[in-house]
Amino acid sequence: MVGLIFGSIPGLTFSMALALMLPFTFGMQTTPALGLLLGVYVGGMTGGSVSAILLGIPGTPSAAATVFDGYPMARKGEASVALGAAVIASTFGGLFSLVVMMLLLEQVAAVAIKFGPAEIFALVLFGLSTICGMAERSMLRGLIAGTLGLMLMIIGLDELDGVARLTFGTVQMQQGVNLLVAMIGLFAVPQIISTFMHYGRIEPFKMPADVRARLPSFRQLKDRLWLMVRCSGIGTGIGAIPGTGGPIAAFLAYDHARRFDRTPENYGKGELSGVVAPESANNAVTGGTMIPLLSLGIPGDPATAVILGGLLVHGLYPGPMLFRTHLELIYALYVSIVLAYVVILVVQLWGIRIFVKVLSVPPHVLAVCIIVLCGLGSYAIRNSIFDVYLMAVMGLFGYILQRVRIPVAPIVLGLVLGETLEKQYRTALIMTEGDYAVFYTSGVALFFFGLTALTIGLQLRSSLRRRPAVE
Amino acid sequence: MLGVTAFPRSMRRAAFALAAAVALGLAPAHAADFPRQPIEMTVLFGGSSATIAQILADSMSKELGVAVAAVSRTGASGAVGYSYVKSTSPNGYNIVWNSNSISTAYHNGNMDFDYKAFDGVARVGMEVPALAVRTESGWKNLKEFAAAARKQKMKVGVSGRGAFTHLASAALFDKMGIEVIYVPYGKGSAPVELLAGRIDAALQWPSQYKAQVEAGQLRVIAVTSQERLPVLPDVPTAKEQGYNVDAVLWRGIAAPKGTPKDVIAKIEDAIRKVVTGKDFQERAAKLGFEPAFLGAAAFDKFIAADDAVTAKLMTELGLKKK
Repeated sequence: MVGLIFGSIPGLTFSMALALMLPFTFGMQTTPALGLLLGVYVGGMTGGSVSAILLGIPGTPSAAATVFDGYPMARKGEASVALGAAVIASTFGGLFSLVVMMLLLEQVAAVAIKFGPAEIFALVLFGLSTICGMAERSMLRGLIAGTLGLMLMIIGLDELDGVARLTFGTVQMQQGVNLLVAMIGLFAVPQIISTFMHYGRIEPFKMPADVRARLPSFRQLKDRLWLMVRCSGIGTGIGAIPGTGGPIAAFLAYDHARRFDRTPENYGKGELSGVVAPESANNAVTGGTMIPLLSLGIPGDPATAVILGGLLVHGLYPGPMLFRTHLELIYALYVSIVLAYVVILVVQLWGIRIFVKVLSVPPHVLAVCIIVLCGLGSYAIRNSIFDVYLMAVMGLFGYILQRVRIPVAPIVLGLVLGETLEKQYRTALIMTEGDYAVFYTSGVALFFFGLTALTIGLQLRSSLRRRPAVE
Repeated sequence: MLGVTAFPRSMRRAAFALAAAVALGLAPAHAADFPRQPIEMTVLFGGSSATIAQILADSMSKELGVAVAAVSRTGASGAVGYSYVKSTSPNGYNIVWNSNSISTAYHNGNMDFDYKAFDGVARVGMEVPALAVRTESGWKNLKEFAAAARKQKMKVGVSGRGAFTHLASAALFDKMGIEVIYVPYGKGSAPVELLAGRIDAALQWPSQYKAQVEAGQLRVIAVTSQERLPVLPDVPTAKEQGYNVDAVLWRGIAAPKGTPKDVIAKIEDAIRKVVTGKDFQERAAKLGFEPAFLGAAAFDKFIAADDAVTAKLMTELGLKKK
């Protein structure tokens, strides 16, 4: 429940909610304490979609990919369908990964551990190749945007060498550009600026008057069942690899859905699959990250690191031994995840009625509220006023980009993937003392390099073919 | 609205006194009425150190009678949080959960001020890094490890270049007379890399290995403190094995320079009660944290001495920028 609320407030991420909840669990019995932490975790992961769909601001980084199609759906008056699909997909993804975790824990952990720096680099590079697909009209513009994203990522203190980069000697800049701050700036602020620019001059964008709570039909969901399964698989797998996480899984799933769709041109304009895919994937990550946590005692992302802390305080050391010494606790863990999803499903489906009321507020009034939320959210992420200024700068930057028709999605992708990409590449080379062989002697890495080449090749071919048709 | 005259005289006086007290609260704090508003404890890093900070803050608020909030200001190896706390007014309401990072961040060139910008309040405890290898490697102690490392260059996982685990391992391997490749990982993924066999050893925190050690997959061959750890009673120190190193990470509480001495004494007293209490010690032990209280004056001296050692070590490693 708490997770749901935190997740839906932009900037208050579930990692933070978890950290805040942690002291409460110290005095509790082990099982309720674990239940509370897990509930916050999965709730936060699900709740992030609410503001992503309604306001175009992702509530958590993992919900970033949901904005692409969720927000356009809300503008088309289909917010309730998008929200409904999001929560159902989330629950599906979460439960799917739970089943995988229960049945294949050892096996998945054994595969996940094979992903070293070189393999993760290849995987992330594959993710980055999806930039090609995200550039709606021109690949050149997409590449410019992707490069801008990578450049923004470089700002800050380099974690490996402890060297400050592009900080102009200031301490504040060493924090780097936070993904969520950049996203709030790039997605929400340009919308607000447009709303004010257009106000009074032309007929303001009319939200459809009829914002009844309409749930996605059974048929819409049934058609996407297979997609949900595949994306949940992606999410579980990515979640299980330490050092990746929710945002990467969501973007890969989004791209996967778009690429295998018969009508990829609908993506970014309010395609239901574009909501279902990332939402099922990011919730599947919750089960995925539990795999290395429980089997190896290794947290895959900051959120599971907090859960690990909670377990340790109660004297539980996750790892192979936990299954032998505290089996009843493992079952309690499974049950609390299932319970959490039941509660989420009920609360969210019921809450949609209230959420969609937001859309009947006139856009310019809503814009003012969004500004407040943007400022609050940016501050809350790192308790830093610098981030609020950064958000404003990114907002102006985003607006300019919108005017020159450079898509912002690849920038975000560059920010999401760039950090992991660079870090893994360098770690791989440090390990081998600069020997590049590590990248082509690993089968897994080669496989993903192959996929990357294939993606770029196919994209080039289709854009070359399209060009004569345009002229 | 009804007019203050309606109140009896004594109540008016009380109200006036209250108003005056509130006004005073904004002025530099005095020990007599400290604390009268929530205290903010800035936390510089995530992970288990943040969990300890939360336990500490939680217990401190019970001692002090006001809320003590552990607020996370991470980034730039701690420089962001230190800069924030340094800029607040020295009244005791802003304190920082500090550590050796005050020295490493300064000597790395990430901050333009050092430990002298703060007044120590109390040392809370220590964390001792431990060197682990895979059980199947067969190395049982540092001598065997050193012998193997002379034949083939070892890859050792640390948290980041210039991070404390890097400094500690450099100090150790320097004494052992071997050269290794340091693989910086950040965010604690070194144990998994060690398990997967991509590195030969890792210098990290004992709680990170506990599960694998119990399962017999990893073996801890040394700790870098002068005495053995209660959490790893069977693991000999590097000193016992003939390599005299003393590298421990300390953590404590500091306040901006100029915080009134009597205010510091009050916080120090609260920390002393918490840290020497059974409750805190039990929880800390589970997280692999060794409570080691030191009062304000001694803590200041301790930091100064430690800073000199760190500076020397970083100069030798070529990591010192200033």
